[in-house]
Amino acid sequence: MVNWEYSESVESQDIVKIKDKYQNFVDGNFQQPNSKKYINTISPSTEEVLSKIVISNEKDVNNAIKSAQMGFEKWSKTSPHERSKYLFKLARLIQERSREFAVLESMDGGKPIKESRDFDLPQVAANFFYFAGWADKIDLSWGAKSLKPHGVVGQIIPWNFPLLMLSWKIAPALATGNTVVLKPAETTSLTALLFAELCEQAGIPDGVVNIITGDGTTGSLLVNHKDINKIAFTGSTQVGKSIQKSLAGRDVGLTLELGGKAANIIYEDAAIDQAVEGVVNGIFFNQGHVCCAGSRLLLQESIHDEFVAKLEKRMQTLRVGNPLDKNTDIGAINSKEQLDKIEGLVNEGVSDGGKIFQTECELPGNGFWFKPTLFTDVQPSYSIAREEIFGPVLTTLTFRTPQEAIEIANNTEYGLSAGVWTEKGSKILWTADRLQAGVVWANTFNKFDPASPFGGYKESGFGREGGRQGLLSYLKAES
Amino acid sequence: MIEIKKTYKNYVGGKYIRSESGKTFTLNLKNDSFEVPLTSKKDIRDAVTSSKAGFAKWSEISPYTKTQILYRLSEMIEGHKDSYIDLLVLGGSTKNQAKKDVETAIENIVWYAGLADKWEQVSGNLNPVNGEYFNISHQNPIGVVFSLNSDSNSLTSLLNSIIQPLTVGCSVISFSEESSIIALKFAEDINNSDFPPGSLNILSGQFEKIFEDVSKHVEINLVSICKIIPNEILKKIQENASSSVKRIINMPSEDGISSILPFLETKTVWHPKGT
Repeated sequence: MVNWEYSESVESQDIVKIKDKYQNFVDGNFQQPNSKKYINTISPSTEEVLSKIVISNEKDVNNAIKSAQMGFEKWSKTSPHERSKYLFKLARLIQERSREFAVLESMDGGKPIKESRDFDLPQVAANFFYFAGWADKIDLSWGAKSLKPHGVVGQIIPWNFPLLMLSWKIAPALATGNTVVLKPAETTSLTALLFAELCEQAGIPDGVVNIITGDGTTGSLLVNHKDINKIAFTGSTQVGKSIQKSLAGRDVGLTLELGGKAANIIYEDAAIDQAVEGVVNGIFFNQGHVCCAGSRLLLQESIHDEFVAKLEKRMQTLRVGNPLDKNTDIGAINSKEQLDKIEGLVNEGVSDGGKIFQTECELPGNGFWFKPTLFTDVQPSYSIAREEIFGPVLTTLTFRTPQEAIEIANNTEYGLSAGVWTEKGSKILWTADRLQAGVVWANTFNKFDPASPFGGYKESGFGREGGRQGLLSYLKAES
Repeated sequence: MIEIKKTYKNYVGGKYIRSESGKTFTLNLKNDSFEVPLTSKKDIRDAVTSSKAGFAKWSEISPYTKTQILYRLSEMIEGHKDSYIDLLVLGGSTKNQAKKDVETAIENIVWYAGLADKWEQVSGNLNPVNGEYFNISHQNPIGVVFSLNSDSNSLTSLLNSIIQPLTVGCSVISFSEESSIIALKFAEDINNSDFPPGSLNILSGQFEKIFEDVSKHVEINLVSICKIIPNEILKKIQENASSSVKRIINMPSEDGISSILPFLETKTVWHPKGT
């Protein structure tokens, strides 16, 4: 038998210089925080301590917001065209230091280098380029002159696409004239802190971008701060709901990009091989740590057996391992906590009666890993068919008619994304019209672009990020 | 000769009904008084069931037909202009104020009637993504909207609290307190304008008795508050809403395209281009 094993091809870490410990970026420079509480940030693929970040306290949050308020005074007086040029400059700097960011992202977050290098970073730069051009064209965007920035925006982002989520947040906020206090997730703060250096390099006026590290307690201080004008949050539905509750009765803007449990519908007249690729990309991209992951595979009954056989065969070729190896398809699970959650739900799926398939592969000894997993024989009531697993776990359900597919697809409190696969155009349009989801991928999946609005229906949140519609998340109508 | 006085009822699912509780409250207008239904929690739940069915039908009706149904509504009101003016005068308006108010309401309906088949061209667009993909963003109506009307003795105010969600295909539960008479009267013209049953339900009552149920009801997708209410009630509504990520709009914009945006969900569809 031919041995198809690849030789290792590991990206060098030399390009990255990680400090022993990090400070907050406030008022245009790194400042000694008031908080003395530091935590280790580790590599989830080796469990090696990379650095220490501070858990910012109330004083630190106060300072950051005060800085953003002073920044807003300057930024409001900066002409839209100048603001545009600052963003263009940031975009270019990101491109120039892109490899450094990509390696750091993979070390700190565990995602494969081929994704951080070929997906995350190009998208980050593209976001700054796209919104740079809007900064001096806001009056053209919705034909309304009364749209004004909120002021100081608090932004809280997750650990799955650390720098990309930062760009989704900071680029439109700055383009529309707001200033920001951004808090990255506590397990993945390093690329945000490196981005702060870029802000210094680009000469962004002091106080316009403030980055403070911390955990949920810091996030909560930001949300509950009296001087915040708007909160933009990406993360779990549970935390999103608590933020919405905290802001009740206050005149603070809010956009939420929350969880999902996307249906990926495969009709019997789909191009099966293409669909198999799309399904694999839909769920195993970024270890399944994707809010819009196609985690519910809806197969038309007539193709179930054929499709599952091909899917299992394809899954077996996925390479799980060192994120810095350029051959790696699936990297490390972001944290021990997340791994426990995935294992818990998968165990529940097995005890509920689901039939489990996992690929045969060796997992590294250190770090957090989970084998690509497929469930068949699943009832829609199982928690693996209802709850967001946020890992490399795919659940299969079947349907007989298009109407039934829509019913199953929409039978969830989530509404972030969905997929549909068929070679029949009219069926795509019919299906897309009926899916309650903010993004519908037809004969493709997990495609993103700064020009393309992203965001959910129902409990997947409100507001859009990206595109012309994304500008509205950072503007308010002023009478 | 003794005056024959009309009985005003709630309008739910295309039918005029009393509150299931049998309760009414007295509405003291400046120049008259009426007994109107005191909507109960159960009435709200029934109205939501009706609105869900109404949404399914109304959202499926083509934009062209929606335009004609909305225009039909303006024709109906035009035909009953005098009776609206009389009611507004009972509520304390001068005859001139009342006339102007009804005429403004009619003008507004005609404006929105003409928007029903155009808003998607204004709020949606192709997206120039980097790659060989067809990518379009368009909008869907958000679903069942509960709208709290202001207390103004005004048909225009009532209209402005319901016409935007209705235009884009939402179903609406319109709730009035002090201004109930004009709303319940308006139901008659809704009934004659070919709206599918349940697409617009009209209720009267006291908001403080039902706001908890409204804000907790998971099948109401959005609550639009067009009246200044005490901050502690607004806060309670928003807290309750968070349990299902319900959208709450306080004093929505009445200005052009901004007025319909809160009632829409943007959906973006991708498809590869290729041979």
